[in-house]
Amino acid sequence: MDKLIDPDIGLMIWTVVTFVAVVLVLGRFAWRPLLQAIEAREDKIQDDLRLAEKARLSAEKLKADYDKQMAQAESRTRHLLAEAHKESQNIRDKMLAEAQEENERLSEKARQQLALEQQRLVRELRAEVVSVSVKAAEKIMRHSVNKDMQEKIVQKSINDFGQWT
Amino acid sequence: MEFNFTQMLEHHLLDHVYFRLPDIFGVSLPVSKHVLVMWLSGVLLTALFVPVAMAARAGRPNTIVSLVEIFVLFIRDDIVVPNMGPAGRKHLPYFLSVFFFILFCNLLGLVPFSATATGNIAVTGALALCTFVMINVLGIREQGFGHYIKSLVPPGMPVWLLPLMYPIEILGLVTKSFALCIRLFANMIAGHIVILSFLGLIFLFGTIFIAPASVAAALAVFLLEIFVAFLQAYIFTLLSAIFIGGAVSPQH
Repeated sequence: MDKLIDPDIGLMIWTVVTFVAVVLVLGRFAWRPLLQAIEAREDKIQDDLRLAEKARLSAEKLKADYDKQMAQAESRTRHLLAEAHKESQNIRDKMLAEAQEENERLSEKARQQLALEQQRLVRELRAEVVSVSVKAAEKIMRHSVNKDMQEKIVQKSINDFGQWT
Repeated sequence: MEFNFTQMLEHHLLDHVYFRLPDIFGVSLPVSKHVLVMWLSGVLLTALFVPVAMAARAGRPNTIVSLVEIFVLFIRDDIVVPNMGPAGRKHLPYFLSVFFFILFCNLLGLVPFSATATGNIAVTGALALCTFVMINVLGIREQGFGHYIKSLVPPGMPVWLLPLMYPIEILGLVTKSFALCIRLFANMIAGHIVILSFLGLIFLFGTIFIAPASVAAALAVFLLEIFVAFLQAYIFTLLSAIFIGGAVSPQH
């Protein structure tokens, strides 16, 4: 069993030759291309990650801009609505006031007209009454009446007349 | 036939030399089972990873490419970069080769009728020697010879201690690599010895009734060995990265 730990120099030389050949051949035809491929892929992944990050940042910026614009538009809309509301309120108040004024003016006019009409009617009636009275007196005068009656009628007419004034 | 446990262990654990090439400078190069297994693992590595790299480069990932990438990324991000810094990336081919070569040798050792090359102290010693050379060569290349020699001892050391510290540190450098060799060798051979011991019980007791327990225990150890195959490849790579990283940039 001593041979187990007794190295054969020839075998050592073979091992070195074989191993160096493996290192050279694999290094040239396997490891170098393989490592290059891996590194190229890793670089590409890094680039892709960077690009994705850039795209994400720009998308975020766009979204922020959009949000800002939305907020601005909303506030402007609110402002405009409030203004329109105020305007309409003003117009309504004005129209209401005008209508009231018109109403009062019209009713005043009507009252005045009514008063004028009344005065006219009174005047007309008085004239009528006078003419009727004169006509009645005429009629009575035409008939033959006694002195008493005549006096009574005249008296009454005078009284009536006095009442009208 | 008399059962000889030592013979059985030697048969299963030792290398089988088929023939020897003529001596070069007094060293004979054997063509043995372990050499063939190492070559097979090299061929398998090439046959697997070259198409994988081509597919990955062409942007045609499939399941195998993804699986290989998991290992490659693990070695890069969890072994090499934490211990060597980002500059260690240029040495990745060495660490990837270490990991997968050892892993394939370990796993091929679990295939029936194969042999565990990483269970041979000459093989693990040669691999540790490669890491030892890498430690010193890269250390000198990255820091310059003077700085590297200076960085062998901790900074702020009193001058009179240097004659003591240099032998200790150089010994430590050798020991680290030697430990790499022994750790891999012992771990890979230990599981085999345990499996062979469990199966050997059948022959020692000479009864078939012990077989179910033996086979069940051997199977459990075999599953453990699959885990150990990955674990030891990982540990060898990790320690290589730590040692080489320490030599390249001593402040780490």
